[in-house]
Amino acid sequence: MKDAFSRFLEDYRDVIPDFQEYLLDLKTPLPVYFRINTLKTGAEPAKKLLKQEGVVFQETCFSELLLVKKQDTDRPLLSYHLGYIYPQALSSALPVHALGPKPGDRILDLCAAPGGKTTHMAQMMDDEGLIFANDRKLGRLTALMANIKRLGITNTVVTQARGEHYRADFKFDKVLVDAPCSGIGRYRIDPAGRIRHMRPGKTDLPAIQKALITRGFDLLRPGGVMVYSTCTLNIEENEAVVHYLLQKRPAEVTKWQPPVKWSPGITRFKEREYEEGIGLARRFYPHEIRSVGFFLARIVKH
Amino acid sequence: MPELLSTEARERLVSYFEERFGLGTDVFHPFYMYAFKRQVFLFRRQEEMIPLPEGSFVRCGLPFVRLVAGYLKPTTVFLQRFGQAGSQNTVSLEWKDVKALCSAGEISLDKASMETGRLEPQGYVIIKALGHVLGAGLLLEESRLLCRFPKAIRQALARIATL
Repeated sequence: MKDAFSRFLEDYRDVIPDFQEYLLDLKTPLPVYFRINTLKTGAEPAKKLLKQEGVVFQETCFSELLLVKKQDTDRPLLSYHLGYIYPQALSSALPVHALGPKPGDRILDLCAAPGGKTTHMAQMMDDEGLIFANDRKLGRLTALMANIKRLGITNTVVTQARGEHYRADFKFDKVLVDAPCSGIGRYRIDPAGRIRHMRPGKTDLPAIQKALITRGFDLLRPGGVMVYSTCTLNIEENEAVVHYLLQKRPAEVTKWQPPVKWSPGITRFKEREYEEGIGLARRFYPHEIRSVGFFLARIVKH
Repeated sequence: MPELLSTEARERLVSYFEERFGLGTDVFHPFYMYAFKRQVFLFRRQEEMIPLPEGSFVRCGLPFVRLVAGYLKPTTVFLQRFGQAGSQNTVSLEWKDVKALCSAGEISLDKASMETGRLEPQGYVIIKALGHVLGAGLLLEESRLLCRFPKAIRQALARIATL
């Protein structure tokens, strides 16, 4: 696996902007963010309680997200147990904002566990409308259900199925495919030089991702919006997967203006060319946003 | 699969919450009530009823209430979300009392020193501290208050020194 990452670094030297900065950044811990769950409390009472609990934080480009500057990690937070906060990465807010959930929407979250994005969507929907939150693995569903409960959400149906074969009796207004991936955007290098957050396994991820993006698209109503996202920087799991969908279905990648630094989707890599529209996808590099590296494409169904 | 509560069963529950905690019918109007695995769940009402997916269904909505030893016990997560509107059978504790309740599992309620509103001699009560709803307690023999928070929350609260 370490060799695979070395190969990745070699291949992406000219793709990742400020590559030396990226390498340096890999050695620093990623900051933690708290999302305020406004379904259970107002933003101000939640911030007041966090301050009472000794948390020092800073506002961010997303009004519901706080950057944690200092926290006594040994102490359990009452705010957490009351369901006022959800600890997450800033990057995890990006696909949710790109999808733009609204009260009354019918949304499918095809790979939902552990529920950070599901619960964020429910919050943006004022807990109105409907979310089908699906995952394949029962163990991961336990975390998903615990988070839905803790955050007090009522508009969600939890299902267990393989996303590639997901069945529903109706079409959705919006679909989120936050696909399982190699997680390269999460990698960190510890002081001993070991790579952290590496996911073992020899699964053919692009094949799974292509099946998921296609199924997600097929469950979308005409005119509906889908976001495909991963926490990897690997083109084979990102642009190549979106390219596959564009070849197979009447799909179009549409523009989304993120509030953080981004780079366009890559349309040419190692003698391979991808559809021009993929340039409208968004890449986020960890050293540029101080969070997990991420990819997303906002896709509309014609 | 969950079963939608009959109109009569739903009305019984709504009446109970109105009489016991002062939570009005408007609190429950936006939700269906489903019975599933010995609990009742609140599930957001839809513009049109959607079929629940039979093959893959795991759960829907928020666990709301269950029957425990003859009492209707509201869940912690329900009270934390909707209990702020409760106007009776509500006990506001000082933080030292919350710690004692979580550590010992039971405290003697000194009603004279607490903001309680109308309080019946026994049954479930809403427990608040610092203006936040923490969960449910069970009042017995007028002054014995038993902690009914889930174990994880109880342990976490007992470890919080002060606020």
